[in-house]
Amino acid sequence: MPGTTLEQFSYDNKIVKYFGVATIAWGLIGMLVGVLAATQLFLPEANLGNPYTTFGRIRPLHTNAVIFAFVGNAIFAGIYYSMPRLLKTPMWNKALSWFHFWGWQLIIILAVITLPLGFTSSKEYAELEWPIDILIAIVWVAFGVNMIGALIKRREKHMYVAIWFYLASFVTVAVLHIFNSLALPVSFFKSYSAYAGVQDALVQWWYGHNAVAFFLTTPFLGLMYYYLPKAANRPVYSYKLSIVHFWSLIFLYIWAGPHHLLYTALPEWAQVLGTVFSIMLLAPSWGGMVNGLLTLRGAWDKVRVDPVLKFMVVAVTAYGMSTFEGPLLSLKNVNAIAHYTDWIVAHVHIGGLGWNGFFTFAMLYWLWPKMWKTTLYSTKLATTHFWMGTMGILFYALPMYVAALTQSLMWKEFTEAGRLAYPNFLETVIQIKPMYMLRAFGGLLYLSGAFLLVYNMVKTAKQGSFMAEEQDEAPALKPHVDEPGEFWHKAWERKPIFFTILATIAILIGGVIEIVPTILVKSNVPTISSVMPYTPLELQGRDLYISHGCVGCHSQMIRPFRSETERYGEYSKAGEFVYDRPFLWGSKRTGPDLHREGGKYPDSWHYYHMVDPTSMSPGSLMPPYPWLSTNIMDHDDVPAKIRTLQKLGVPYPEGYDAQANADLTIQANKIAANLKTAGVEVMPESEMVALIAYLQRLGTDIKKTTASNP
Amino acid sequence: MEVIFLLIAISLILAGSFLFLFFRAMKGGQFDDNHTPAIRILFENEPKTKEKKEPSPTTKSK
Amino acid sequence: MSNQVKISISRETSTCYHCGEECKDDILHFGEKDFCCNGCKLVYEVLSENDLCNYYEIADKPGLSQKSVSGRDNRFDYLDDVDIIRKLVDFQNEEETHITFSVPLIHCASCIWLLENLHKLHSGIISGRVEFIKKKVQVKYLHDKISLKELVRLLSRIGYEPTINLADADKKTVEVTDKKLIYKLAVAGFCFGNMMLFSLPEYFAEAELLGEGFKKTFNYLNVMLSLPIFFYAATDYYRSAWLSIRNKAVNMDVPIAIGIVTLFTYSLFDIFILGNEGYMDTMGGLLFFLLIGKYYQQKTYDTLSFDRDYKSYFPVAVTKLVRDEEEVIPLIKLGVGDIIKVRNEELIPADSILLEGEAFIDYSFVTGEEVPVAKRKGELIYAGGRQKGKALTLTVQKSPSQGYLTDLWNNDSFEKEKVNSLESLANRISGKFTFTVLAIALGALLFWGFSGQLSMGILAFTSVLIITCPCALAMSTPFTLGNTLRVFGQGKFFLKNSHVIEKLSQVDTVVFDKTGTLTSTSEASVSYFGEPLSAESKSIIKSLVNQSTHALSNRVNTWLGGVKAIKLDEVEEISGKGLRTIYKSQEIRLGSADFVGAGTKGLPEGGNLVFFAVEGMMLGYFFIQSGLRKGIETVVSDIKEKFPVHFLSGDQDHERVNLVKVFGNRILMSFNQSPGDKLVYIKNLNQAGVHTLMIGDGLNDAGALRESQVGIALTDKITNFSPASDAIMDAGVIQKLPAFLDFAKTSRKIIKASFGLSFTYNIVGVYFAVQGLVSPVFCAILMPVSSISVVVFTTLTTNYLAYRKGIKDKIW
Repeated sequence: MPGTTLEQFSYDNKIVKYFGVATIAWGLIGMLVGVLAATQLFLPEANLGNPYTTFGRIRPLHTNAVIFAFVGNAIFAGIYYSMPRLLKTPMWNKALSWFHFWGWQLIIILAVITLPLGFTSSKEYAELEWPIDILIAIVWVAFGVNMIGALIKRREKHMYVAIWFYLASFVTVAVLHIFNSLALPVSFFKSYSAYAGVQDALVQWWYGHNAVAFFLTTPFLGLMYYYLPKAANRPVYSYKLSIVHFWSLIFLYIWAGPHHLLYTALPEWAQVLGTVFSIMLLAPSWGGMVNGLLTLRGAWDKVRVDPVLKFMVVAVTAYGMSTFEGPLLSLKNVNAIAHYTDWIVAHVHIGGLGWNGFFTFAMLYWLWPKMWKTTLYSTKLATTHFWMGTMGILFYALPMYVAALTQSLMWKEFTEAGRLAYPNFLETVIQIKPMYMLRAFGGLLYLSGAFLLVYNMVKTAKQGSFMAEEQDEAPALKPHVDEPGEFWHKAWERKPIFFTILATIAILIGGVIEIVPTILVKSNVPTISSVMPYTPLELQGRDLYISHGCVGCHSQMIRPFRSETERYGEYSKAGEFVYDRPFLWGSKRTGPDLHREGGKYPDSWHYYHMVDPTSMSPGSLMPPYPWLSTNIMDHDDVPAKIRTLQKLGVPYPEGYDAQANADLTIQANKIAANLKTAGVEVMPESEMVALIAYLQRLGTDIKKTTASNP
Repeated sequence: MEVIFLLIAISLILAGSFLFLFFRAMKGGQFDDNHTPAIRILFENEPKTKEKKEPSPTTKSK
Repeated sequence: MSNQVKISISRETSTCYHCGEECKDDILHFGEKDFCCNGCKLVYEVLSENDLCNYYEIADKPGLSQKSVSGRDNRFDYLDDVDIIRKLVDFQNEEETHITFSVPLIHCASCIWLLENLHKLHSGIISGRVEFIKKKVQVKYLHDKISLKELVRLLSRIGYEPTINLADADKKTVEVTDKKLIYKLAVAGFCFGNMMLFSLPEYFAEAELLGEGFKKTFNYLNVMLSLPIFFYAATDYYRSAWLSIRNKAVNMDVPIAIGIVTLFTYSLFDIFILGNEGYMDTMGGLLFFLLIGKYYQQKTYDTLSFDRDYKSYFPVAVTKLVRDEEEVIPLIKLGVGDIIKVRNEELIPADSILLEGEAFIDYSFVTGEEVPVAKRKGELIYAGGRQKGKALTLTVQKSPSQGYLTDLWNNDSFEKEKVNSLESLANRISGKFTFTVLAIALGALLFWGFSGQLSMGILAFTSVLIITCPCALAMSTPFTLGNTLRVFGQGKFFLKNSHVIEKLSQVDTVVFDKTGTLTSTSEASVSYFGEPLSAESKSIIKSLVNQSTHALSNRVNTWLGGVKAIKLDEVEEISGKGLRTIYKSQEIRLGSADFVGAGTKGLPEGGNLVFFAVEGMMLGYFFIQSGLRKGIETVVSDIKEKFPVHFLSGDQDHERVNLVKVFGNRILMSFNQSPGDKLVYIKNLNQAGVHTLMIGDGLNDAGALRESQVGIALTDKITNFSPASDAIMDAGVIQKLPAFLDFAKTSRKIIKASFGLSFTYNIVGVYFAVQGLVSPVFCAILMPVSSISVVVFTTLTTNYLAYRKGIKDKIW
């Protein structure tokens, strides 16, 4: 027994290499798609005239690719390298590591296939349909088990702060993902959200915001606390601060979600909650940034020469900027201007390109030479990449801010006569087209920088020799008992599950307190007697609307401002959405809001507009959807959909599923006939008819009655 | 409606236990030394080959 | 000094690979690396043997010079003694032992790395774990493979010799208090956070949107959350308030306690009877902020210990001779009449009579004077001195705790904890404050009562108590003092706790210890009288003094500066007398008068003399005075403008003359002061009703430091041993002393100013309160606003003024 206390073990670099390569590969693809989407916004032809590459389906592909493929793999690479070294033990189980790797890549590939095909839940950053959601849950848990296993077998007594960030991220994301993806399947590719309308919106943005928080922020803060000190070879400025800001961050983030829904039909007090906590968030966020930057105090000479540190400095600064912008945007009056505009787009890209992108680059530039036991192939090249990236970010963000302000102000401008100065939404779009072009250029610049990275990585790997297993040794961490109360000490140390529980609890409190009231308390969702469930045809139309990702450009939530009620009509009430599964409020108005679209134009207008938007509104950036009129829609699954919705409590009469298709045909024929009179020949079974049915229904219920609405 | 009372109660009880565990962590001394860990992570045990790393057992007690 | 620097540059410099010190004279080489001394070389050898040279990569020149380390190998023998081991270790089972050493030499990342790789040095060591700030390392080892003695020897071999002393032996009192505070803070913070959450809708008048169900739920939740705050987090305040009331005083915690209780009870009433929302969130916030303040005030300097008595200076064990058999016994077991052996570099553990050997005792730690004194057979040697030279045999006269020096600690002034004689500014104000508030509250009650609206009266009464709850008031003191504490700390002036600041501001009499405080061995002035020294004789003297570690030799050496030493075949050091050698068949002596055979008439007073003689012919002598510290004159003259200044000294008064010359005659000087006398001296001053500040450095000042209002221990190296005191000051910043004293007063002014600030808040509050216009939201806003603004105010002003007064060189 004695003497054997010094244990030999080795770190697995292979898995890190694989995740690293995946990071780069998916990164390039994701950014490429991004550039395409950006181009489509000023050049509709770039939609390439087929359903699969239209903006509505490309956008979610872009977001998923960069968030879950690029950043996701980067996180895993970073954790699989740093965690074993911090704990002085390999990851718990190699097989599990590889399951995690291939599982995650499979998920991404499935996403790349299903999203263009239009299989989507339309919830932002959670678009994937339920079978993939389940797969995600499984792989994610595997990842967690691997980490916790390593923690239990660790040889280092102290849990370095980075580890806490990793674990917190794991737990939160798991809970969020499950919470948000709760849905009732209709078929293998179609499901309806468990929540409706306001509740769905709340859950979605509680998730949506925390996805940003716990997928794009906390894991990277963990990485920052490991890689920044390592790269600068100096301890973090204040370890105490890092601990404090960890706890405050994980607590506050949970409540910040509702700031995405200011001025919406969400109950006021929930909005206030969101605002207040978002503002409080500033403190811990900046705590992190300051801690990161001050770590480099006195090392600026290093920063001047070392591209790794260069990238890190900008990354951390970008983090600071976007975490300052966040609270700012969650102030109601600022939000009133910024919401639905490109400001939000700029905001997220400062975070995405700056914080996540740049830090990932820095990490890769640091890891590659280390794992290949060599030096970086070309520092000059890396520095060039740095400058291209930085310019890219500027060219991206600045035009977006200009665009946002221009458009928002145009939306809100009134003439002396008290009429809207720009009643035609299109004017405000054409105005900012040049900005969209600049933005695309910025993206392109950033992307081409990334290619330099690839070249540099390859060359570096070539000139070095890869070390798949890295030997290390450490004394075993034997539990010892001395002072009383030591038991808990031990328990805490040996069973990180405790820590995991802590985080879970923190999250649950947030979730429960925020969501439960809205879900459970009727008083929060004033019901409106005249609001009826969708007819089968409208339902089909709605699902088309969802699968084409129309929500990516068209909101369905009119805020209570004169400028909006003037433009779109009566502001949206919570009660109007009780049958919306999922909710389609949207978060960006590249096109006008559609909540009061019903009955605005004749059916024929919609027909022509779909076939060629510019025919009805010249200069429109909307992609043409000619195939809608020719594609025959298969209505066989309607009964199943009805049944599913009934299970979710939608008051269709008993056994309505049987006659649903009959009603559907009647309504379809009516619309077809109506179109005929306008001189348009479409088959009642065409997708066009269903979509028109839905659009004409939008926001009309409330008009049917003068009574009610509290 | 009553469910909410229950849920919030539960969540707070959980939170309480979380606080309790935080205390234990304090007692356990995870937060006692707020300086050394930051330095400790900077050390790299440069990988050695197996036979070289037999630590020459005793150099002392002469 | 300066000219020496120049010289060192001029000659080809090579720095030690281990400790980075410049290698003087003889450079040792090992593996094309240079070392300044054998010790450093040895460490390097050990490390390279075990390929631990990474040590030298992590930090540049990480080692510390090994010159001073005593080479005696058996100096750890006492670590074989079983019950000493038992006293030292933290934990022991059949195979493992865990022990925590304090290693003052820990100073950089390399240290951490090496000490945490001890297992590579010896297979018997399981692991080492460093706590950098506390400069401690916990080592876990297998005691059948390596004994504690071997372990310590190993540590000292690699240059990290732990300090083990009597204090460690009877230690094991871990601080739990400030952890308690953190718990309370956590509870308050947690509850407060959630209360805010539940109260938010109220603030934004969203209550109706909430619906009754929620309103009630949230209020009840607030009550639930307020319980831990009221019954746990706030307990300290009740206790302290109760105590002060019991001794017929009113301290700051009384109004706080009143405030908390009113907030709580009235809120209960408000929620359960009137069905309103109550003020629980305000109470939560109040406690949260107060506790933050408390925590902030509790700045501690982990590395320093202010309460060291002789125990932490004396050895754990001594070598006792039992019929010529050496045995190592714990000091506690040492009895009168025992025969003990004291080797080179060892302490005299107790007052004893010299039996044999040439005693040559260095009392620097006791008196501050580092020039060793020679003692003859049969003379009484006081405890605390360090023997330089051959081993001695002595017979113990007094048990260690009863000695000339250690007797101090039996003085009752060490028994009782220093009582904070003057009550703090805050407390004096709070008395008036409380009564005023109560008066106003009652006034309001009566007014409304007589105008027939009793319920309104009660409302007004409670709101006054709630609104005036002296949160801001209570914040100003801790934050000001906390900041001052930090500012002083940055200025290398470390206070035991924040009370010292207030006491410091009261000081009106300053007492200096002379030796080691006013004077500093490093500032010694050397002057040569007699026949001018030829270059040759200079080099001879140089090479003579090079051979000796005697304090006087060192000073002569410094005086000679870069003079090239010449090779002398053999130099003999007769300890207590001097050095002799044969050069060109001439006998050369350097040392005391009788050693060189020189007459002693007509020689200067007030210093040490070193004579230089060739062939019994005295050519001249060095006159060496322990010089005054840099800038001490200005310090003293500054202070004596304001307060009377006293000097105390243990030595004969032969230096009185030149002290008067320097400091003028307005200073009261007393010489031949025994440690006890010093204590009594201060006591008398105190009885005369003055507030004394004592500044000393040695163990012999410990009594005085203890007795005085504020005792400052001056030390050249902060981590070194320093006697018990209220504050420890780096000798380098002594010239800032007047500034510090001045700033202590300033901080009082700042407190007063921030009181003014918070009073204005209270007046505003009361204005509304008496009219019964106070709403929970109003409280919830006013309370944090006032507190935070006070915090900001004190923090800014403190740092800014400190900067203005030159205590800090930059504002942040």
